[in-house]
Amino acid sequence: MIVSIDWLKEYIDIDMPLEDLAEKLTVAGLECVVKEIGKSIPKGVVIGHVLEKKRHPSAEKLSVCTIDIGTGNPATIVCGAPNVEAGQRVPVATVGTQLTPDFTISKTKLRGVESNGMICAEDELNLGDDHTGIIVLSDDHEIGKSYNDYFSSSLVLDIDVTANRPDAMCHWGVAREISAITEKPFKKASIKLIEDGPEVDSIAKVQIDALDGCPRYTARVIQGIRIAPSPAWLKNRIESIGLRSINNVVDASNYVLMETGHPLHTFDFDKLKGHKIKVRFAQEGEKFETLDHKERELSSDMLLICDTKAPLALAGIMGGIESEVDDNTVNILIESAYFTPAVIRKGSKLEQISTDASKRFERGTDPNETLVYAQNRLAALIVELAGGSIAKGMIDIYPEPLETKIISLRYDYVKRVTGVDISPENCKSIFSHLEFTMISEDEDSLTVEVPTFRPDIEREIDLVEEVLRVNNIDKIPSMKKLTMSVAEECDKFHPFLTDIRNFFAGHGMHEAVNNSLVSKNIGDAGIWGYTPLNVLNPLSKEMDVLRTDMIQPLLITLRNNALKKRTNIRLFELANVIEKNDHVDTHAVEHFNLGVLCCSPLWGLNWTEEDKPADLFYMKGVLDHFLGNLNFNYKLKENTNRDEFEILYDIVIRKSIVGKIGKYVDGYFEKLQLQYPVVVMELQIGKLFNWYNPKQQYIPTPQFPSIFRDISLVMDKKSKAVTILNEINQHGGKYLVDLVLYDVYIDDTKLDKNKKALSFRLEFRSKTKTLKDEDVDNVMNKLFERLMNQYGAQLR
Amino acid sequence: MTIHETIKEVQEQFKDVLKNARDPLMLEEVKNTFLGRKGKIAGFFSMIGEVPPDTRKEVGKMLNELKRSLNEQLELRYAEFQSEKKQKERVDYTLPGYVVHKGSRHPLTQAVDDMLSIFKRLGFDIAYGPEVETDWFNFESLNFPPNHPARDMQDTFYTEGGGLLRTHTSPVQTRYMAIHEPPVRIVAPGRVYRNEAISARSYCLFHQIEGLYIDTDISFADLKGTIELFCRMYYGKDVKIKFRTSYFPFTEPSAEIDVSCFLCKGKGCRVCKNTGWLEIMGCGMVDPNVLKVINYDTEKYTGYAFGLGVERMVMMRLGINDIRILFENDVEFLRQF
Ligand SMILES: [Zn+2]
Repeated sequence: MIVSIDWLKEYIDIDMPLEDLAEKLTVAGLECVVKEIGKSIPKGVVIGHVLEKKRHPSAEKLSVCTIDIGTGNPATIVCGAPNVEAGQRVPVATVGTQLTPDFTISKTKLRGVESNGMICAEDELNLGDDHTGIIVLSDDHEIGKSYNDYFSSSLVLDIDVTANRPDAMCHWGVAREISAITEKPFKKASIKLIEDGPEVDSIAKVQIDALDGCPRYTARVIQGIRIAPSPAWLKNRIESIGLRSINNVVDASNYVLMETGHPLHTFDFDKLKGHKIKVRFAQEGEKFETLDHKERELSSDMLLICDTKAPLALAGIMGGIESEVDDNTVNILIESAYFTPAVIRKGSKLEQISTDASKRFERGTDPNETLVYAQNRLAALIVELAGGSIAKGMIDIYPEPLETKIISLRYDYVKRVTGVDISPENCKSIFSHLEFTMISEDEDSLTVEVPTFRPDIEREIDLVEEVLRVNNIDKIPSMKKLTMSVAEECDKFHPFLTDIRNFFAGHGMHEAVNNSLVSKNIGDAGIWGYTPLNVLNPLSKEMDVLRTDMIQPLLITLRNNALKKRTNIRLFELANVIEKNDHVDTHAVEHFNLGVLCCSPLWGLNWTEEDKPADLFYMKGVLDHFLGNLNFNYKLKENTNRDEFEILYDIVIRKSIVGKIGKYVDGYFEKLQLQYPVVVMELQIGKLFNWYNPKQQYIPTPQFPSIFRDISLVMDKKSKAVTILNEINQHGGKYLVDLVLYDVYIDDTKLDKNKKALSFRLEFRSKTKTLKDEDVDNVMNKLFERLMNQYGAQLR
Repeated sequence: MTIHETIKEVQEQFKDVLKNARDPLMLEEVKNTFLGRKGKIAGFFSMIGEVPPDTRKEVGKMLNELKRSLNEQLELRYAEFQSEKKQKERVDYTLPGYVVHKGSRHPLTQAVDDMLSIFKRLGFDIAYGPEVETDWFNFESLNFPPNHPARDMQDTFYTEGGGLLRTHTSPVQTRYMAIHEPPVRIVAPGRVYRNEAISARSYCLFHQIEGLYIDTDISFADLKGTIELFCRMYYGKDVKIKFRTSYFPFTEPSAEIDVSCFLCKGKGCRVCKNTGWLEIMGCGMVDPNVLKVINYDTEKYTGYAFGLGVERMVMMRLGINDIRILFENDVEFLRQF
């Protein structure tokens, strides 16, 4: 929000540098910066006079204008605006003018006709959002003069007002803040109201059929006004905060809004059927055309201002075409009302309109003093500017006045919350400058009535905040000795995750952080087969569900990297995946998982080893190391449900599937032209954490030497290594402590072509004695016999 | 020829032969010729009976001396051959080492770890909450009434079945308090989501760390002390901190915290947009309405809460000006950390 420094000075003396003022207001909660506005229109934009308008020979919507721009040499300009006419004074951006950093006006041809400049609309000059037509200026604008000369520059505060402070969205509010900070008095203008018209009740009526949406409605009628341009002082005020002057009545209404923060609405009284205002909720599907020329179909949550026939305005949000004040208006009705914030907010959300009025009503305006002041102020101002006489009396429907709040503040509570002593005098001074009414006080506390323009103040703690913020929150001394209640619980999960992250980073992988929002097909493709949870209002179709596994998003990352021709892609990520489950209140179950993906050489080009891919055996090795670190025994069970995998295993611990490990079919990612196979792994880390039992007791180190036995077995090519390993492990006897498969030999010239040779090294050791050969010979013989009988193994 | 002359002659011969020996094998021959069992020196010893008895002792001594001297020269020559051989067979240790791939931690999780380790030192436990939340925990329990403009501060993704993606880590506050009695002293890291168009400055998700401390006699001064300590530990002891009043529905009073720009030390630069300050977190005293919701005695307990955005801090530290870089996972980016 913009407030003008000059304007502020009507209500408060400012005698400190503006930068300091901005800093003080910022610390007190009105985050702001000092700015100069007004001198923003580029020099090359000059006043032009449209001498002639002709139709473009080959484009229906374009016109060819001859425009006097004061150079003595009229310019030909092609214009697309519907409202351009001969005789108008208009702002013209001449050739060479830079309107935005990437838009400079140049000589061009538009559909075959040369154009030497551009007639500007509001939005092109940053004066507003309007792009429906060009700006048409009054005839007192001098041809050829720089348009910028018609804007006086002004110093303003650009304030970012938080949602709880509707009171600060006006000059009064900011002046009041400055008053509290600087302890200078805050002055309001007094109003001279002359009611010399007929009794208002005799000419107008107001009826509220929706008190829950509109607790108070006041109206005044002024007859015999003359709509005219605003006088210079008002124009300056309006333009000094970046608005555009329209006419005396509209400007006066905006002026009072920006002064008091209370939005007002003026209706053309003669356009009110039955001269009656009715406030009611819309009927479902009722139609209404708003000032922005949009036909709207309303919901029954929308509060309306109507006459006896039809709606006139979306209450507190936007007026309608029908009852708009125009150049011929002579009689007006001024509305100053209080609308229930939640109702206005709902309406503004439904119709997606946010206006100066709706922004204030939805945050909460003052239903009492300010409302009446604004009504009277505007009436008096209009008479001053546009003549006319004010009808006697103000229609005021306010059957159930909103209760004012009376709150006590205990000084020891202030101390308890802030940690510092703040004197009673200090507190009293602050509340008095903020226009709170002192009700009573004693040694330990004070009691104030909260002004009704402060809907944010409801409790004692809110008063503490007032004291703290006005006193400069930054100056509260910080506690040097920290109190520390020691938590009895000590989280183990995060350190667990950190260890995992460091483990994979230590194994040459890069940690990724992927978007949890993915497209539906990615969610459906998840390795766990979960139903994805839909996002009802997604940013795009690419992000309309939550991921159901870690692997699919890593595949997207793989793709993005492959498109950039990155190699050595080894990634891991730890995050939640979401399973839709209708039995929980959020319909979502979260699983904390680890995803790993490799598409990389094992080493890359080097001088010792032939380059190999980091294939499934690499991933199996990593898995083995990882789960070994955590003391988990696991099994791999082949999973044949997924065609895209050449091999996929379920990782099973305690009979429960805790992970997947697999290698994609070569060519599955054909388009990416990958150099290496894609191997992936996913583990349910949340589950492993729950089971994880950090190291038990130590095992004494071996005291006696080991005996080693190597055995090479020729067997069927189809037989699985894991079967033989299990067999040896199971029947290797009590001294077997280690088993290594150290060679796989396949050579059709030396072995039968259906055969292969596997070599194993067995390590035997006893805890109590030095083993002798005969201790293991027997076991080895039996083992071999077993393998021979069951698997047809032969010694090589 | 006297024995002296003979010895001298043998010595000369030996020197010549030794010089001409080009490898250890030839050296072996030389050794046999002179010092072998049937070598020249042995020959001299066998003739010792032929010299006059009174000089025998002296001659014996001379012969022993000769033997020792030849042996020594031989050994030296051997050693020379050995070291030459070593020189020749030595491995080229300038070859590069075997490949051990470098991995890396993502700067975001790294920063979360760094910050959590500071908060752990300051006595905070770590707590967690779900990413798919209820409206009650994400908004209502935190004093955001329905149809309140404060909800506009956080554009929300809604999920089917009435849930939503949490817009901040603050629901962990009420979740945790609902099942713990004071004192409560936690930090809660996690992903949060905002339904905002993706651009260089905003992404649909980011990471927050929430802090909460509830006990008897916890004041705003405690909050300031803790935050200042955290900032000094994270940014360095010269950092300046500024508190300014702000608004969050779940804290009262509320404040935003700015730290002096660590890049320009407060002089003004591109990162801090020439203000010299960087906004890093929001904080405040927990609103009594929030404590009431979980049935804490608001007369007995007070406390503070804070929330910081990890991406912002990481971007400022690393000079990243487009948040999307953090979620692109280009391996060339990731490997830098
Ligand atoms: Zn800086």
